[in-house]
Amino acid sequence: MRKFNVRVNGKSYQVEVEEDVARPAAAAAPPPPRTAPPPAPAPQVAPPPVPAGGGNVTSPMPGTILAIKVKVGDTIAQGEILLILEAMKMENEIPAPVAGKIASIAVEKGAVVSSGDPLLVIE
Amino acid sequence: MGDAKLQDLILRREKIRAGGGEARIEKQHAQGKLTARERLELLFDPGTMVELGAFVKHHCTYFGMEKKEAPGEGVVTGYGQVDGRLVYAFAQDFTVIGGSLGEMQALKISTVLSNALKVGAPVVGINDSGGARIQEGVASLKGYGDIFYLNTLASGVIPQISAIMGPCAGGAVYSPALTDFVFMVDRTSKMFITGPEVIKSVTGEEVSAEALGGAMTHNNTSGVATFIADDDRACIADIRRLLSFLPSNNLETAPAREENDSPDRSDPELNAIIPDNPSKPYDIREIIGRIVDNGDYLEYMPYYAMNITTGFARMGGRSVGVVANQPKVLAGCLDINASDKAARFVRLCDAFNIPLLTLVDVPGFLPGTNQEYGGIIRHGAKLLFAYSEATVPLVTLIVRKAYGGAYIAMSSKHLGGDLVLAWPQSEIAVMGPSGAANVIFRKEIKSAEDPKKARAEKIAEYTAEFATPYKAAELGYVDDVIDPVSTRPRLIDAFNMLETKREKLPAKKHGNIPL
Repeated sequence: MRKFNVRVNGKSYQVEVEEDVARPAAAAAPPPPRTAPPPAPAPQVAPPPVPAGGGNVTSPMPGTILAIKVKVGDTIAQGEILLILEAMKMENEIPAPVAGKIASIAVEKGAVVSSGDPLLVIE
Repeated sequence: MGDAKLQDLILRREKIRAGGGEARIEKQHAQGKLTARERLELLFDPGTMVELGAFVKHHCTYFGMEKKEAPGEGVVTGYGQVDGRLVYAFAQDFTVIGGSLGEMQALKISTVLSNALKVGAPVVGINDSGGARIQEGVASLKGYGDIFYLNTLASGVIPQISAIMGPCAGGAVYSPALTDFVFMVDRTSKMFITGPEVIKSVTGEEVSAEALGGAMTHNNTSGVATFIADDDRACIADIRRLLSFLPSNNLETAPAREENDSPDRSDPELNAIIPDNPSKPYDIREIIGRIVDNGDYLEYMPYYAMNITTGFARMGGRSVGVVANQPKVLAGCLDINASDKAARFVRLCDAFNIPLLTLVDVPGFLPGTNQEYGGIIRHGAKLLFAYSEATVPLVTLIVRKAYGGAYIAMSSKHLGGDLVLAWPQSEIAVMGPSGAANVIFRKEIKSAEDPKKARAEKIAEYTAEFATPYKAAELGYVDDVIDPVSTRPRLIDAFNMLETKREKLPAKKHGNIPL
């Protein structure tokens, strides 16, 4: 973790950036806590894998944009929640596939999207 | 016998043990790879490996091959023990003519497969080869064909595990593809039918070998690989761990293990994992981690179709296969890839007598043209087929949503679920409340003075009456509604009760699963 001061549109932000992780930091299967007696610890959450196409975030399924958690210019870490997509009666969190800066946002709150529609671009 | 003859044997053996020689071994190490022998030594319990066919030699005389020596024929084969159980293995030796496969290397591998099949022991195949030995021509193709045939015969009889620890290209990829598990080592392994150069010359697409056939590509995009490991050592440790969950063959059950985790352990935290709002996601693996022995869960295909999680765990010391919808990804919907992944896993467990635990939180099948055009009907059918056909104990726990066709698919009573339990907040119904209210009460809503209010009332009415586990329980589709806290003891009890389950399918050659 490294800290940076980033100035966007005259406003200063302090951001923490994780060092380049070549692949989603392991933890495929949760490490077996063999020794720990009950209560059993929950398995670790595997971060989502980096999809082909890098920073283009597209809608994984048809739904409605319920909330947009980032702004253009924001610096985000891998796995940070970008948008909430309401689909199949679920408020689905759309995480950042890669770390970077939000280059553009293609949707607005309330927009209806199909699967594959571009949502935003991370550079 | 004279000393000279014994000395000769020792010299011959030493030569074979040296493989492709020091320089090539150094190169192998420099690439972050272990040699074939080092890999097998790590796989087997110390001192238990017995080598077979070390003196096998090729007899090719084309293109100067008559002068070429290939110690061990580019593959080390044999058997040994893993946690005290017999396991067969072969490891291709990249230092010997690039590990290329000719007729005699294939013979060594085929011998391992047919012996393992005869005695009912798992096979671990370590792949690190440049491909067919081109000098041998069609004889090398014959070699691959023989291996594919034996892989297929052995499928469902003995567990077959492939590890890709170097290149594996062209026809060679089909042997791993026919086996039960494919491990890939990050960065050093590659699998493809045609490499980047061929693709460029034919289609003009430019793609790196890593992006085309690297470990992560096959773990999250193609679904060819089932596991990924950081390096050779980690990979082999994972293989040993996987073997601990599996029986040696289809007539045995997986070894039980004394676990330091009481079967009676109740867990109040289980009440806190699922959010009160049914439209909030959570990680289903938190539930799995709390109910299985010591939270030990080996996830199968952890990066592919993450909207469903599959894996091995133990409950009360015995192996179980877990299938669970993952609400955190794609709302936990079933889609093409999730159906394929889960269906294969269910059949794998069924083939090897591993009971199945299914955790259900599924809003339905994923809507969309790409799903329909991609054949979700045909792929989803695989999951129905796999559960219906499975004769191992099937224990199902509905933790939240179970809607529509997806409810049926997820190991419901109707497809042969032996014991179906539900948590009190479950919603088991043909469709979600708002959709159902719109259909059933369309006229009433339309003719009401305030349609919006009427709609909300009808949704609330439907939710209270039907979005519960009790309608299903009244009909006997759910055997019991349980306190989440008691989940682990109840599930272990269910598996104990089902231990002697015997079920036979109608006699047939084989079913016709919609592949």
